[in-house]
Amino acid sequence: MPKEIQIKVGFGDQFRDLTVRIQDDDVKPWQPGDRLNLIGQSTPRVDAVAKVTGTANYSYDQKPKGMIYGKILRSPHGNADIVSIDIDKAKKLPGVRAILTAPEIFEDESARYAGAEVAAVAADTEMQAEAALRAIEVEYDIKPHCVTVEDARKEGAPQVGRGEQVNVARISPRQRRGRRGSNSDMDERLARQEAAVGKVIQDSDVVVEGEFSTQVQTHAPLETHGSVCSWEDGRLICWASSQATFGFRNELTSNWGGVRAKSCQILSEYVGGGFGSKFSAGREGVLGALLAKEAGVPVHLMLDRSGEQLSAGNRPDSLQQMKMGVNKDGVIQGTRIRSWGTPGTGTGGAGAHNDGIYNIGEVDKIEYGVRTNTGGAKAHRAPGWPQGAFALEQMMDMAADEIGMDRVEFRKKNDEHPIRKVEYDIAKDRIKWNRSLTRNGGAEICQGLGIASNLWFSAGGGGASALVRITKDGQVEVRNGAQDIGTGTRTVMGMVVAEELGLEMNQVATRIGNTDDPQGPASGGSTTIGTVTPAARLAAFHAKKELMEIVADRKGWDASELDLKDQEVWRIGEGSTGMTFESACALMDDDAIEVLKGRPRRNYEGFSDTNAGVQAAHVEVNQATGAVKVLKVVAVADAGKILNPLTSESQVRGGVIQGVSFALFERRIMDRQKGRMLNDDFENYKMLGSMDCPEIDVVLLDVYNGKSNTQVMGLGEPPIVATAAAVANAVSDALGVRMYDLPITPKKVLEAIAKRDAAKEVPAQKKGERL
Amino acid sequence: MEQQDHSAMEHQQVFKKLSVNGEPHSVGFSVHHSLLEVLREQMQLTGTKHGCELGECGTCTVLIDGQPVLSCLELAVECEGREITTVEGMMIGNDLHPLQEAFADLGAAQCGYCTPGILMTAKALLEENPAPTRDEVVSALAGNLCRCTGYHKILEGIDWAAAKMRGDEDFRPPREAIYGDPLPGEEPSDA
Ligand code: FES
Ligand code: FES
Repeated sequence: MPKEIQIKVGFGDQFRDLTVRIQDDDVKPWQPGDRLNLIGQSTPRVDAVAKVTGTANYSYDQKPKGMIYGKILRSPHGNADIVSIDIDKAKKLPGVRAILTAPEIFEDESARYAGAEVAAVAADTEMQAEAALRAIEVEYDIKPHCVTVEDARKEGAPQVGRGEQVNVARISPRQRRGRRGSNSDMDERLARQEAAVGKVIQDSDVVVEGEFSTQVQTHAPLETHGSVCSWEDGRLICWASSQATFGFRNELTSNWGGVRAKSCQILSEYVGGGFGSKFSAGREGVLGALLAKEAGVPVHLMLDRSGEQLSAGNRPDSLQQMKMGVNKDGVIQGTRIRSWGTPGTGTGGAGAHNDGIYNIGEVDKIEYGVRTNTGGAKAHRAPGWPQGAFALEQMMDMAADEIGMDRVEFRKKNDEHPIRKVEYDIAKDRIKWNRSLTRNGGAEICQGLGIASNLWFSAGGGGASALVRITKDGQVEVRNGAQDIGTGTRTVMGMVVAEELGLEMNQVATRIGNTDDPQGPASGGSTTIGTVTPAARLAAFHAKKELMEIVADRKGWDASELDLKDQEVWRIGEGSTGMTFESACALMDDDAIEVLKGRPRRNYEGFSDTNAGVQAAHVEVNQATGAVKVLKVVAVADAGKILNPLTSESQVRGGVIQGVSFALFERRIMDRQKGRMLNDDFENYKMLGSMDCPEIDVVLLDVYNGKSNTQVMGLGEPPIVATAAAVANAVSDALGVRMYDLPITPKKVLEAIAKRDAAKEVPAQKKGERL
Repeated sequence: MEQQDHSAMEHQQVFKKLSVNGEPHSVGFSVHHSLLEVLREQMQLTGTKHGCELGECGTCTVLIDGQPVLSCLELAVECEGREITTVEGMMIGNDLHPLQEAFADLGAAQCGYCTPGILMTAKALLEENPAPTRDEVVSALAGNLCRCTGYHKILEGIDWAAAKMRGDEDFRPPREAIYGDPLPGEEPSDA
């Protein structure tokens, strides 16, 4: 039976009363004005000391007794089928304990990109394993390849996939299969939509258009993918560098790759980053588990950096054609979008979210997935959003300029988000939007400002339980089996429990990253914190209730009047009873109170279902060298209630640097002739380092959104959405010429300058008609 | 042939005296092993991380005779007679080193994988230059990648630790380093 309660929702000076129906055993969300001890205070990570002393043990660091080493052999060819694999010589080499071949394990003879897994070896030492890889003889049937979207889209391009698989497939609206007639119905509908939106655009006061492209970005966590696997009596124990312990376990107990562990424990106490790439066990996870089974001893199979870059995931590239009709009053009438992207050898998952955030009028959008002979994409921190935001935000500036409206005012005009409306002004203020700068290429060193928006959906949901235990001697522990990949989940889970029990942080032990503990979510979609913390608070609340009942019973008090605060038992509205938490615990008859609670399945009605966020960038461009330096990024972010500003801010900064890195540096470079990635390392795959790091001004808005008892939303993905778009807008502002292509390398800057200067000489140049 | 040569090398064990974190150790290892491998595999000092083994990420940084060195590129056999310091040797008795303390308090370690390497680089910097400018700190860290934090808390942590080590009791990291940037309406202050 749900119960009705009154709460206040909102932020800043915008609060309103709301009646919400919450699950009957749930606890009321914290309210503005509540006296909170820890929540909302910057609290250092509970595992910080382990991390700074080197005692934090990651998967890479595990060394169970008798452990040997696994290595993977990868195809060097852009596109091939494996005809045969001869392991006889390799088997006889010293130290070799197990060899597996990919066609046998995955029932797949194809090696459709350079880097595809072909075989795996486990041997006593790493060098012996490498020697064995070299001794494996593979016969390939080498096929022609396409490694770029451009090549794969060409008429008569070599087939990337196998069988009936075409290189280019419409993924949105999805091409239907099998139902006769439905495809032509859809085609007709799309044709009607194209005509209708085309007319809306044509009838608008002004029309802007552009073709934008973004590159492939790898996740590049500093700890690579992989695991250390050990079998004990049919039970598989796996220390995995994973951002989804339970997902990983389910893969290994399913029959995928024939692992079928009867039972399996995943341990991911410390994970060296993931950013979306570590949801699945991956082929390396399956191979590690099976090598350990076959060898009969634990196997350490962590990818090397090359394997990581080639096969462990990436953000797909994009080509986005956009055309927008806008009226002079600043209202967008309609937008036509065609986009292409490659998720590797498949077609799904390469969309670009270029139609979100703003109200962009009537939309005619078709999206295509393009197969290429490249390593597969994986969800990458706000999948599809940074690339979509890049194109969309360039269009927003182009349109605003065309109608002569301030770029921020134009955005506000087409934006209904109640939080973002406020965030624009904060961002403007902090970046000094109206300051005078040498814009438009006015000097050799010129500067510019750019602005862009975020959108995300991360209130969390069901799928987690937390266990809270209070012992007779006053020890408190909270457990959840999900992982903390650096986001701060462990710390915040502890904070929520400590707050509920009126304790200090160091009085609550936290355990995380162990699938023998209660179910937890994947660290994905920024939903972890919104999923785990309401469960933790609920469990703590009920554990407290049990303890208060014991106290009331012993003392002849009324349990409903008791609460815990400042490490003492309080009488609500009156103050401390003088009884300490420890002495309350000592009244227990049993050894401990243990409460396991699941997160309320559904979110409640609240203030806003989405996170907003606005970022503004200030850049400097050297027109002689083409070098861009991002001087400052103002990142205004909201994520429901901010539980721990320290970890929240850290997430925002991390998102911003990955966004700046995406804007200026990172890109996978493919050799079109050889069909292979050229920069499968950190030397040639340039990532932002300390010297490239801008000043980052983080502003966190505290929003009482009411959607759960902790009202928190995640903050992993939102801050990366806008950054590259804002930087690109700032570069265009500095140069007086639009940037259409990421990353913005010095070469592209110089080309854009040359084009700008040439256009100045021929003023009557006609606009290209690409769409 | 080639393969046999390699496995022969595997058996070519050497015994060396390595001085790690102020203590002498007799360690047996294969001649071709890097210092990183020997520290992690033979000596169970896994605080020093493995990020690329190519000399490109900085997670494996240790100090040799006080200088930051990428241990994945250093042959262990060449380290005899030199003083090696790893993150495990950073604490001063039972207390955290000021750098460790500042990193922990400011949240300079997010996933924490880059942290040991960065701490070693920072330690070497501060021993040579007790009051580095921001530019000097930034360029000292140029070889240490961090994919998570956004570097600021690391830089502020180093400033703070440097001040503590100089005995500059009055130094405080910028307010926002501890409490976050001021919220709208709040006065930014250095208090
Ligand atoms: S592991 Fe030595 S630099 Fe990356
Ligand atoms: S904290 Fe994760 S790489 Fe630096």
